[in-house]
Amino acid sequence: MVDCENSSAMAVSATSVEGTECSSAGNETVPHPEVQPMKKKRNLPGMPDPDAEVIALSPTTLLATNRFVCEICNKGFQRDQNLQLHRRGHNLPWKLKQRDGKEIRKRVYVCPEKTCIHHDPSRALGDLTGIKKHFSRKHGEKKWKCERCSKKYAVQSDWKAHMKTCGTKEYRCDCGTLFSRRDSFITHRAFCDALAQESARSQTQSLPISNSNHLQETEIVEAAVLPPSCSPPPPPLTPSTGVLSPVQSVHSSELPDKTMEMLEHRKAAAMEVDAAEDALPTAATTTASGGSTSSGNQNTTNSTGVFASIFASSSVLPSSQSSPASYSNLLCGVAGTDRNTTVEPMSLSLSSSLYHSTTAAPSLFPTTDQNLHQHHRQYVQTQQPALSATALLQKAAQMGATSSNTSFLHALGLAPTPPSSSTDRYQEASIDQWSNIQSKQEINDNPGLRLGVPSDYLLMGPPAPTTLDFLGLGMGGGSGGSSGGYSAFLSSIGGSGLNVSAAAGVPFRGVNSVQNEDWDNSDDKKPALL
Amino acid sequence: MMQFTETLPAPPLHLSSKPCQNFSPMNPNQIHRTRPWPGFPAPNKALGTFGDANCMEQLLVRCANAIESNDATLSQQILWVLNNIAPSDGDSNQRLTCGFLRALIARAAKTGTCKMLTAALSNSNITIQTHKFSIIELASFVDLTPWHRFGFTAANAAILEAVEGYSTVHIIDLSLTHCMQIPTLIDAMAGKLEGPPVVKLTIAGATEDVPPMLDLSYEELGIKLVNFARSRNIILEFNVIPSSSSDGFSSLIEHLKLQNLVHRNETPEALVINCHMMLHYIPEETPTTTTTTPFSFEDATPRALFLKQIRSLNPTLVVLADEDADFTSNDLVCRLRSAFNYLWIPYDIVDTFLPKGSNQRQWYEADIGWKIENVIAHEGLHRVERLEPRARWVQRMRNTGFRGVAFGEDIVAEVKGMLDEHAAGWGLKKEEDDLVLTWKGHNVVFATAWVPT
Repeated sequence: MVDCENSSAMAVSATSVEGTECSSAGNETVPHPEVQPMKKKRNLPGMPDPDAEVIALSPTTLLATNRFVCEICNKGFQRDQNLQLHRRGHNLPWKLKQRDGKEIRKRVYVCPEKTCIHHDPSRALGDLTGIKKHFSRKHGEKKWKCERCSKKYAVQSDWKAHMKTCGTKEYRCDCGTLFSRRDSFITHRAFCDALAQESARSQTQSLPISNSNHLQETEIVEAAVLPPSCSPPPPPLTPSTGVLSPVQSVHSSELPDKTMEMLEHRKAAAMEVDAAEDALPTAATTTASGGSTSSGNQNTTNSTGVFASIFASSSVLPSSQSSPASYSNLLCGVAGTDRNTTVEPMSLSLSSSLYHSTTAAPSLFPTTDQNLHQHHRQYVQTQQPALSATALLQKAAQMGATSSNTSFLHALGLAPTPPSSSTDRYQEASIDQWSNIQSKQEINDNPGLRLGVPSDYLLMGPPAPTTLDFLGLGMGGGSGGSSGGYSAFLSSIGGSGLNVSAAAGVPFRGVNSVQNEDWDNSDDKKPALL
Repeated sequence: MMQFTETLPAPPLHLSSKPCQNFSPMNPNQIHRTRPWPGFPAPNKALGTFGDANCMEQLLVRCANAIESNDATLSQQILWVLNNIAPSDGDSNQRLTCGFLRALIARAAKTGTCKMLTAALSNSNITIQTHKFSIIELASFVDLTPWHRFGFTAANAAILEAVEGYSTVHIIDLSLTHCMQIPTLIDAMAGKLEGPPVVKLTIAGATEDVPPMLDLSYEELGIKLVNFARSRNIILEFNVIPSSSSDGFSSLIEHLKLQNLVHRNETPEALVINCHMMLHYIPEETPTTTTTTPFSFEDATPRALFLKQIRSLNPTLVVLADEDADFTSNDLVCRLRSAFNYLWIPYDIVDTFLPKGSNQRQWYEADIGWKIENVIAHEGLHRVERLEPRARWVQRMRNTGFRGVAFGEDIVAEVKGMLDEHAAGWGLKKEEDDLVLTWKGHNVVFATAWVPT
């Protein structure tokens, strides 16, 4: 098609211009750009021949493609000339414009965008394609997106050109992770277990330490991509899976290399054995190296974000929901994933139990409450930001009691959160084994309060005849629960230690619960560290 | 509806005119009284009108003032309003405000405003739960934005230039990011320097936790680095000296001094001290709260002492990269304003590259939240986030006997190239000899290089 155009370049360009809606400026003669010679900046685009005819096209015209459509087959063409040639194939009447012998005047094109420098006729561009591309690039929508690096282009040919080079500067770690930047790759590579495994392996094979080509070696890739449980364990030198003393290894750089190699090998062997012997799909973390915790994340692949997915390749577990078909797919999938909907009760109770058993943080929470909260947060955390609001309101209510003892408390105590949703959430939470009598009581007694306060601790303001609606927001009304005396208030504070902490740090707590999903394996496997 | 027992004179509407004004404790009689809030418009209007950052800052400042003046009623009223206009999953300004809101609550619970709560809370921590990164996650985290990479790139390039010709390079890495800078440095050295140099790496094993936190011991980290260096044909010696920023890394300094004595007669080695967003954790109380008195650099402050100590080591190069803001004021409102007008940047950045609800985003924002809480809710030695602006660090370095080294054109080009790999919005500018990373034109991080005079 393009060839066809070019074969009769002059005639075609004349035709195409005629086919477009020339604006009023169409035949205007360019004012002589006298100012131009003093600017000696090289390659300043748009310094047209002063004799050229200036064409101003509308944005629609510039962005339009294939405006000349064949009535037989609906095929569109950018130029009438091409359509005419096409019509010949249908045996339709066709007509090519003939050159009329006169020398055609050179045409230049201005950008329709008024703020653009090429809107000025003195900076018009010399060809129609050029102005079209300019307009799309600078003022148009970038609808061509590189799936690999997310760069966007307005002109398809730019995008195509990019697609040819994008990925050629790509770095691939043996763990399967791809990087577009060398720095990123280097940093990852240094800390990735694939390097440790590789050097350990090359040492078992009595290979000399290779000098610089570790980075791109691919021999390990196959093994590394397999699930750990499938990888053939090399004959273990040490059956022990205990953590080797890292301190020795660290200082071994001053020791003979042999020692270092030995230690590394022992470590790697231990890791592999451990992984291979591991029957549980949810506990693939290797014991020997803390750095391998990333693989431990994989049991929550379905609920994680970019990190877990990107690094999923080194040890994709059999249970993993998303097999990394491609990098971009993963990213897309991750972006659209709502983790709350995919978390299964099973994994919830697992992580919860681990949390329960391994957490060392001092807490006021009774354990049952803690468990409850754990689940509660996991269900609620991202879907229900209102939780924090409620918690805060309750906190504020307590603060109100401290200071003013007014019915401000009322207003806040009756926080405008729908009780039904919280009840649902508790019922959700009670799916698992951790719900207990206490929590059930809470469900029954306090459907309106979501923080798991035992009902005795509930603080409602003393009933006041008038509602002090200091903000005029109509939060008042409703009844206070109990006649909260001073002692009741104190106990409410005591009992609400958990409330307040939850209130102050709900999203952060939420983060914690997410963490636990990811940590649990490492915690599981490294009890000594806790 | 609006019932008030007493109408008090309205507080000044625009506290901003005196940003650092000190609030003396108010009349205790006022504490338990409600009073009108003059800034509050007609109550029927939608709360959405409070959505802009200026208004939120005003509210936060008011709230901070109320807390500082022990006015529980007013502070809780504002907290309540703030809570309604700043959901934790809102836009970046709302999330920013939410972070401050939490910090203010934490402060209110600690200080006199809610003394009743203090006793109950003293047992339970309401500290923010930050994520413990795996090393791979941390690498990815650092890689997301130029926030850290900017300093890495500039520092690495400067180091590479400075150590040319030395066969032994000793790097003291005082970095917030757990050696994340080292692999690229090793890689660059392997590629550029003639012959395999010996690299000694000494890091300060942090004795207290500051985000981003790493789920890996320094020893294990060291194994990885040594292993990686070997793959690049570089001999790396890795040393961890447990030391704390709270005493100006004194044990590390002692160790280095000792080494200096022992190794004085051996082959000359380049000594590079790389300070990446770490020095602002060294305690520093500004002497007064009034902004009129110029900042004084007393010799005895821990920061000045630390710089003196590293000067005495006669290093080949000192690189100092840190966040360009001022969190040192003793005045809460001052700090709040300063932090609010700086920490919007990370929240804004998050919007551009991390999807809503992703784990990474929560981790990232939890770390910012930690920072906010530290600046707002803590005092004394617990308040470790004491950023100082570039100009002040420059003054400190000069006072200590260092001379600034300009970053060469090559380095600038390299940093620019790195920024090009990231989203539009990042920029680079030169201030004196130094490089400054900008986001949408606002200073984010500065990088400076120094040699002894």
